[in-house]
Amino acid sequence: MSLEAEYRSVRHGAALSRMDHVGLLRLVGEDSIEAVDAVCSGDLWVRDGRMLQTLILDEQGQPIADVYVCPDDDACFLMVEGMTTEDFSARLGRHANPELEIELEDLRHEHELLSLHGPYAWEVLSKWLTPDVIGLPYLSFYRFDRGICFRAGKTGEYGYDLVIRSEDATDARRELLELVNSFGGSEVSLETLDLCALENGFFSVRHGSIEGLTPLELQLQWRISTRKRFPGIEAIEERRARGIRRRLTHFVAREGLNAGDALHGPDARVGEVMTAVFSPGVGGLIGTALLDISVAHPGIDQFFAPNRDSATRIQTVSSPLLVNRSLFVDPHRHTYSTREDATYPPLWQGSLP
Amino acid sequence: MTTDLSDYVASRVAILDRVRQILRDTMKLKIEPEAIDPDAPLFGTGLGMDSVDAVELVVQLDAVFGLELANSPLASTKIRTVNTIVDAIMEVRGES
Repeated sequence: MSLEAEYRSVRHGAALSRMDHVGLLRLVGEDSIEAVDAVCSGDLWVRDGRMLQTLILDEQGQPIADVYVCPDDDACFLMVEGMTTEDFSARLGRHANPELEIELEDLRHEHELLSLHGPYAWEVLSKWLTPDVIGLPYLSFYRFDRGICFRAGKTGEYGYDLVIRSEDATDARRELLELVNSFGGSEVSLETLDLCALENGFFSVRHGSIEGLTPLELQLQWRISTRKRFPGIEAIEERRARGIRRRLTHFVAREGLNAGDALHGPDARVGEVMTAVFSPGVGGLIGTALLDISVAHPGIDQFFAPNRDSATRIQTVSSPLLVNRSLFVDPHRHTYSTREDATYPPLWQGSLP
Repeated sequence: MTTDLSDYVASRVAILDRVRQILRDTMKLKIEPEAIDPDAPLFGTGLGMDSVDAVELVVQLDAVFGLELANSPLASTKIRTVNTIVDAIMEVRGES
């Protein structure tokens, strides 16, 4: 399956993916949220049955893990990208109060994680599980007989993460894939999901090097608390006191850019490319650049990467880059089978420089 | 920086600052306006705004900038982040 075909599944129909790259943990005990709070950067104001995104930072304030925190009575589910269970356990041991009564379970030993994405992912799931999933609010979860369904996703489309018991996982995957195929979709790779996340401005620990960067430069200040101490806070306070000098900014270009390329403005260097990949939706390169804060804004077409024989221009843009189909697909009015009856705005409404 | 680039950035920053202030007031956020990242999602994750906040925000954007989104089918695409709001305002003003 080509990346373009996988991409079309996510953006126009429904797609299934194995989420083998995500750590799946359960912290048990009435102190579980307090323990997670000690290692994560955000304020964990989240009710039972809901989900909250936060980060784990290193001592330099650089994000090293992207985490969903999901309280569930006297326990807490955690979906962790970027850090092993062993490393997370070590973090807890180093930063959480040792008197807290908690027990860490690695759910990966007995469960698999599958995910559904796409403007009609809700319809696939309603056929496989129950029509009630249509009413499941974004960033919430509920249990069903074979596992737990989390409504989340990092593609800008409807998204569901399904934690399924290992003994049921093979059948569940086959059944879901049959349904997804009937929606014109396919199983998709992590590469496609990462591309879609980049198009929609979701942070990913896999979107190029973020060496030396903190949530201040990465536009992730909403994931750091202003009320509590957490690992990495000293580095952030120091950098905030100095002033934010650079900021991650999205761009589009026709071709010929790579991570690490210098970017110049009309009279000076302004930054560098952090990541650049081809987007079928845009029909060109999309990426992020770390730009001087004075010019780190969308709508600028005067920056370029000087090459040996020519210069590659970029156009800075706002994130999300796409007008996602899921913004216009209403589960109470639309279905995949009647999709041709509705008109939708184009995914990409900009132009390439 | 060339004059047209510096003019564009200055215009954009002025709108950006005002939108941040509106968001801070609308949501009664106890953070500095600069802590609201221009590309942070306003709904769901990010600032965690809900439909009630959205109504108030749309009213404020109309009152302050003349940005009419109340009956627009594309309203949900215009208020996804501070930057998308600024884009919409600059488009209305013919500055984009």
